[in-house]
Amino acid sequence: MTTTVAHVESGRAERAPARGRVQRRRATLIGWSFILPNFLGFALFTLVPVIAALGLSFMSWDAYNPPKWVGLHNFIRLSQDPMFWAALENTVLYAVGHVPLTLALSLGLALVLNRKLRGIEFFRVAIFFPYISSLVAIAIVWNLLFDPTSGPVNVLLTHLGVHNPPGWTSSTTWALPAVIITSVWKDMGYYMILFLAGLQAIPGELYEAASVDGASAWHKFWNVTVPGLRPTTFFVLVILTVSSFKVFDLIFVMTEGGPGRATLVLSQLIYQDGILNGQFGYSSAISLVLFVMVLLITLFQYRLQNRRQD
Amino acid sequence: MKRPMRMLALAGITASALALAGCAGSPSTSSNNGSGKTTLTITTWDYADTPEFKALFTAFEKANPDITIQPVDVPTAADYEAKITTMLAGGDSTDIITVKNLTDYSGYVAKQQLVNLDDVEKAAPSDKLAGLDSYQYKGDYFALPYRTDFTVLFYNKDLFQKAGLAAPDNLTWDQFAQDAAKLTSGSGANKVYGAYVHTWNSLVQGISAVQNGKDLTDPSDYSYLTDQYNMMLKLQKAGDIPNYGEATAQKLAYQTEFETGKAAMVPMGTWLIAPLLADKAKGVSVPNWGIAQLPQITAGQPIVTDGGPTGFGINKNAKDVAAAKKFIAFAASEQGAEAVASIGIVPSYQSDTITQKYFGLAGMPQDDLSKKAFAPDSVKPDIPVNPNAAAVNTVLSQEHQLIMTGSKSVSAGIKEMESLVKSQALSQ
Amino acid sequence: MAIDARLGGDIRPTLRAKRNRERLSKTVVYVLLSVLLLVVLLPFLWMLSSSFKNNVDVLSVPIHWIPQHWVWSNYRDIWKQVPLAGYLGNSALLAVSITFLQVLTGSFAAYGFSKVKFPGRDGLFLAYLATIAVPWQAYMIPQYVMMQHAHLTNTFWALILLQAFGAFGVFLMRQYYLTIPEELTEAARLDGLSDYGIWARIILPLSKPALASLALLTFVNTWNDYMGPFIYLSSNSLWTVQLGLRQFIGQYSADYAMIMTGSVISIIPVLVIFLFGQRYFIAGIATSGMKG
Repeated sequence: MTTTVAHVESGRAERAPARGRVQRRRATLIGWSFILPNFLGFALFTLVPVIAALGLSFMSWDAYNPPKWVGLHNFIRLSQDPMFWAALENTVLYAVGHVPLTLALSLGLALVLNRKLRGIEFFRVAIFFPYISSLVAIAIVWNLLFDPTSGPVNVLLTHLGVHNPPGWTSSTTWALPAVIITSVWKDMGYYMILFLAGLQAIPGELYEAASVDGASAWHKFWNVTVPGLRPTTFFVLVILTVSSFKVFDLIFVMTEGGPGRATLVLSQLIYQDGILNGQFGYSSAISLVLFVMVLLITLFQYRLQNRRQD
Repeated sequence: MKRPMRMLALAGITASALALAGCAGSPSTSSNNGSGKTTLTITTWDYADTPEFKALFTAFEKANPDITIQPVDVPTAADYEAKITTMLAGGDSTDIITVKNLTDYSGYVAKQQLVNLDDVEKAAPSDKLAGLDSYQYKGDYFALPYRTDFTVLFYNKDLFQKAGLAAPDNLTWDQFAQDAAKLTSGSGANKVYGAYVHTWNSLVQGISAVQNGKDLTDPSDYSYLTDQYNMMLKLQKAGDIPNYGEATAQKLAYQTEFETGKAAMVPMGTWLIAPLLADKAKGVSVPNWGIAQLPQITAGQPIVTDGGPTGFGINKNAKDVAAAKKFIAFAASEQGAEAVASIGIVPSYQSDTITQKYFGLAGMPQDDLSKKAFAPDSVKPDIPVNPNAAAVNTVLSQEHQLIMTGSKSVSAGIKEMESLVKSQALSQ
Repeated sequence: MAIDARLGGDIRPTLRAKRNRERLSKTVVYVLLSVLLLVVLLPFLWMLSSSFKNNVDVLSVPIHWIPQHWVWSNYRDIWKQVPLAGYLGNSALLAVSITFLQVLTGSFAAYGFSKVKFPGRDGLFLAYLATIAVPWQAYMIPQYVMMQHAHLTNTFWALILLQAFGAFGVFLMRQYYLTIPEELTEAARLDGLSDYGIWARIILPLSKPALASLALLTFVNTWNDYMGPFIYLSSNSLWTVQLGLRQFIGQYSADYAMIMTGSVISIIPVLVIFLFGQRYFIAGIATSGMKG
């Protein structure tokens, strides 16, 4: 403190940078004071275990006896493991199907439901329902709907003239699409909520101004809604991508990864190898690969967002 | 503008008050409660719906008034192993770990998580304990069984009579298939299947392995599975057993299939007996049923079936090993067997008195065939104790699904099992 | 007069046409929504109808959407079969405390990440983002080992501490704060408000929709969480609704009728919360806030 005061008094030329430094230190203090309450909990209960888990990928550990350092052995084994490659392929395919479909549907629903209509609350609740319904119920109902012979989906397809309707969850080709359809249906209400909150942040004046200029609905969407939703879209995209790559619950209750390995995903492999088969080091290595992959995609999205903002 | 702040503050006060209340409500898990009484902690699954635990614990407490048992309950049987793994990783000090199956046992033994029980085994009536051998690992025992289940053929007597068939006494698999075809009738909602073979891989692979005298953890040659798979696929194609894909999609429950008379024969573990008795007692309509020996490859030979024990082991971090050993010895004794048998569970300890008591339960079939089926000549585990048992079973189960859904031919599936088990599960 | 009449005559048809068009588009929206509603609500309807059936009838094919025999007793028996009231209480306690802490610390931290510029800020934010990318299966056991050493397993504290400081809330609120114009905070600063004052008096009231959505989603996620309570809570007196529901899926047969009864009951609190929270998504609320 005294040095700064001395600097300030020492002359006009040095005054500006000194004040900058004081201000920066003040800003740092203020910034940290905001972040600290959350950061303490976050660092202790999430960051530390996450770092520990990723460190385990270079070790051999059975989740009981002391871990042993094995260097890159787990990763070499990974590269030769057909289960890992099958799970990786399924995970990527799932994400490629799930992300764009959910994004488009949830945004569309949010736009439709973001208006003053009688009974709109009811519709919003309804769309959110799949997300809060019990997973067990969802798995049972969709498995019945997708039943190859007596299920309503195939009955409808046959009526529409499809002669050889897919076997859905009992077919290695169609199990993944069945899972994707179910998960899009389940998740769209969740992301709709996020978009609804985002839409509230766009000032109504912008729409009014656009109307005065005679812009069409389509124009307003592209020139007002889309730019206004950019931070929300970034958020939704990141959360959606990450959760697609980490998908576990729904697939676990619907197909348990089957038939065979047709819907086996990375998270399930991690669960299987680590917690059930007692090869925790190896499963941590799979987690690290998944982590790096998702991180790269997220960073790419982050860059893209920042560039657009500039 | 001040409203959100006030709401936040209000919610905060409520939340912290609630959190404190919840903390006060949580009971302590200490081992000794000071009154000179010892408390023994035992892991269980679904305590409310698994009556054998309560029966056994009550009987033990009666015989040992100075010890109280406190169950550490895992809500679901399906996720039991995940919870135990996590608890033990954290250094949990629950005294006794219930060993749900041999695959889990393999894991505990490989990680050296259980106390050696050779002394308890020596003092126990070992020759009368079915399934005890399965726990032997390199000459040592780390758990002792209290119940031993094995696969038998459950059959619906009325449906057999209606089809004019003799009771399925010592069938071969070929005869089983012929009977299944004759017992199948109707269509749509009235369809009755000759048999229901549940979706588990053990019902094809496990049975086939023990009846051929093979070991499923040995991947050198799985071709002995071919006949059993061909038979199942043929039955499925003819519509004599429910389609595998539909059984999975509709999450068919074997108990429901049998109880509602949808299937005339169900090869299943003896654990199905207890719920059938319980349902009958509750007033749910249960068909006139009996059990027969599991079908064999050839007739007139000793009856070989698959099965295994459920038992108790002692946690290395246990607080009271002496009391824990007392309990394990009790569970393996005749007294323990009586408690378990009284609710329709098949105890490991076998004697004529126990069998008599068992068949004296209300609702048990009384015919000779059922009694004969209750004493198979040889019960072997479908996957023997092996550090890689869980990983091997994962591969086998995946290929089983692929073969049964027709995604892969039998020979291609068997080849894949051989190469995957060899390269994956056995090379860590 | 004549001019006026002519003008009126010109305007009225266009207004009427506009009104007609609006009415038409409203009808289209309603029809589309109703179709969607049916598809979306299908499993819920199935849950509801199953909860009024015998267990054996639940999985009968073809599906009977309306029970053939109405069984009302499920809703009475479930309270006797399991201490459901206790489970509901535990779930509520966990969900409320976690939601409260998440929303409070999340929105507070988000202000630091979006409205205060200081060195290292973006790096720190990336660390938050990065942890979202790690699946819980990977760090479940290290977390448990930590909690066991802190003697917090089998208490609510373990779950509250683990779930209340997640990166999700910080990220969501930060993104929302980014949309609030910088001029607003600058103006407040010039008026002599401190950053804490700006957060409490300006940002918080403006971010009601985002707070509502964060609270809603956190509440639902905690309410529906199965694995967390499953791993950490051993005493039956601490169990949550989700654990109770899974308990129905017994070892031998699944009591689906009861599961569905329980599911329907377990959804009701979430529904109430939702109906309460969704009021903050009324079009135009943010604009009026901005003006004030």
